Amino acid sequence: MTSSSERRGATRRGFLKGTAGLAAMGAGVNLFNINHAWSADAVYEGGVFDAGGATLNIAEWGGFWEEIVRKEMLDAFEKDFNCKIVYESSFPWFPKFVAGGPEKPPFAIANWNYGEMFKTAAAGDFFTPLDEVIENLPNAKNIWPFATATGVGVTWSYTRYCYAYRTDLVDPPIKTFKDFWEEKFAGKRGTYVTSNGLQMDFFIAACALFGKDQYDLAAGYEAMKQAMPMKISDFTGNMQTLLERGEVIVAVQHDAEVYQMMDKGIKVAPYLWEEKKPILTQTKTISKYLEPVQKKLAYALLNLTLDPKLQSVMCEKFYQRPVNKDVVVTPNLASKGVTNTADSTAGYWTPDWKSYNENEADIVETVNGIFAG
Amino acid sequence: MRDEAPVSPVFKAVAMLTLVLLLLPVVIVVLAGLNAGEYLTFPPKGLSLRWVTAFLGSATFMSAYIYSFVLALVSTLISTVLGTLASLYLSRSRSGAAAALRGFFMLPVVLPGVVLGLALYIFYVTTDIGLARTFAGLLIGHVLVTCPFVIATVTASMVGFDLSLEEAARSLGASPWTAFRKITLRLIAPGISAGAIFAFIVSFGQFETTLFLTVPNHEPLPMAMYISLRYKFEPTAAAAGIFAIALVALSTVVSSRLVSLRRVFRA
Repeated sequence: MTSSSERRGATRRGFLKGTAGLAAMGAGVNLFNINHAWSADAVYEGGVFDAGGATLNIAEWGGFWEEIVRKEMLDAFEKDFNCKIVYESSFPWFPKFVAGGPEKPPFAIANWNYGEMFKTAAAGDFFTPLDEVIENLPNAKNIWPFATATGVGVTWSYTRYCYAYRTDLVDPPIKTFKDFWEEKFAGKRGTYVTSNGLQMDFFIAACALFGKDQYDLAAGYEAMKQAMPMKISDFTGNMQTLLERGEVIVAVQHDAEVYQMMDKGIKVAPYLWEEKKPILTQTKTISKYLEPVQKKLAYALLNLTLDPKLQSVMCEKFYQRPVNKDVVVTPNLASKGVTNTADSTAGYWTPDWKSYNENEADIVETVNGIFAG
Repeated sequence: MRDEAPVSPVFKAVAMLTLVLLLLPVVIVVLAGLNAGEYLTFPPKGLSLRWVTAFLGSATFMSAYIYSFVLALVSTLISTVLGTLASLYLSRSRSGAAAALRGFFMLPVVLPGVVLGLALYIFYVTTDIGLARTFAGLLIGHVLVTCPFVIATVTASMVGFDLSLEEAARSLGASPWTAFRKITLRLIAPGISAGAIFAFIVSFGQFETTLFLTVPNHEPLPMAMYISLRYKFEPTAAAAGIFAIALVALSTVVSSRLVSLRRVFRA
């Protein structure tokens, strides 16, 4: 099926591209720039279209995540749009973008957590401006405002930062962000290596809550010192193991993993940070310099990602919270008290990642020194 | 009967301890893969085949396993041929360039794998020669990393090689190729075999160089294991490790047998 916009666009583009191509040949202009001019003209108004077997390069998490995303979305997308998805899961994406430069993006769509996305956005003109992206996403009309608050990408699902604590070993339950520093948790609390996004958010939140504001790095360093001794983990999965074994009884986490542990029968509960409410997002960007058909496919895929049906699947399979207002939270999350309302999604806080990235070298060196003792 | 100096008990103890230290990670991986619990922990919470079954039923892990096997096999074949040829030149050349070339060939081992992988990736992308994120591009990376191991072992087997044997064959009418095939190749076969085994093991377990060269839709096993540990920390990765260890052990045994058979045939 071909949308009306594409039929209109094809005729107009055909004429303009031919004219521009002839002019460019005469003037010796790089053909790439012509294609760029066209990519800005890609329009998607919803529905299915025939991409003529085009390839769409995407970057997203691997493993079980990839299996579910392929099964629930990509396999059908390839058939419906007559295209081929090339899926890359070898994180990190940042060096791959930077190595090729903006004009040779390795991926049409990339899925990010905030830190690296902002770093990439600061490194060059890699991404389609957000306003332009949103114009081409019919499903974006129904998403919460925070989903586009970064100005860089579209957040399509998220989890909340929290502490995970052992309900059988921590009494009374954790009630505030600063409870993590209580003396009784010395050696039994856990966080992550400095390259882990959870530690980055934890550090910035500590700066904000122990200091004047989130830029008060000295307060953050002092908070990390006061939290020692603590267990330092590489990944959240490893932290789950430490919690299960009781080697750690309170740890920095995001709520999806705590809920999964609860449903496995492990005696844990989350304390969702309330003093500052950062969220661990899944955010997608669309590369700026793409062939028109790729860009249109990218819009279509991102639009599908915001569809309530797929958002519900992510709720059910990964305990991810939806950004589409119309999604009814699935029982696995609803049973934990998670809702999808204006009130429950109000007040989310995005740290100043630009500032963090500018100071990253100092922060990493100093915090690594503190963690090393 | 040869007179051998008795091995001191201290030396034996140190050797035994070293052997235990080398084998301990293998034992831990095997036990962790047979863990009955939810997470990759040691000691295991009981023994079970659930994660082995999960590995065998996982499309992601099985395709990664087969992909890594094919990649390692092809890169081993190429590295073995190129490495052997390079070794022959290096061990026989009297040119001053040979020493410099020896160092040059060993560079990929000296360089950190991540640096090599990133450098190759940038080269592929900036030159736009169509190798970025392709099997051929990944294969080149693996050949660069594995070739030095073949060169090192084959060069070692060429030390003290008696050229007069080859000359004798030539004087009896053998062509250069026949003399090489029937004399030189058979004498250095153990070195080639050892190099090929090293190459296979290094390629099969290669992570750092692969990180930037991975082909979309096709993850090698180390990448699949890393991703699994990163997000789920399930023992499936350890179960995959059991099969990786088994494959490497099997390839080692098969290679050794092939060399032994060759010796029997020669005798």
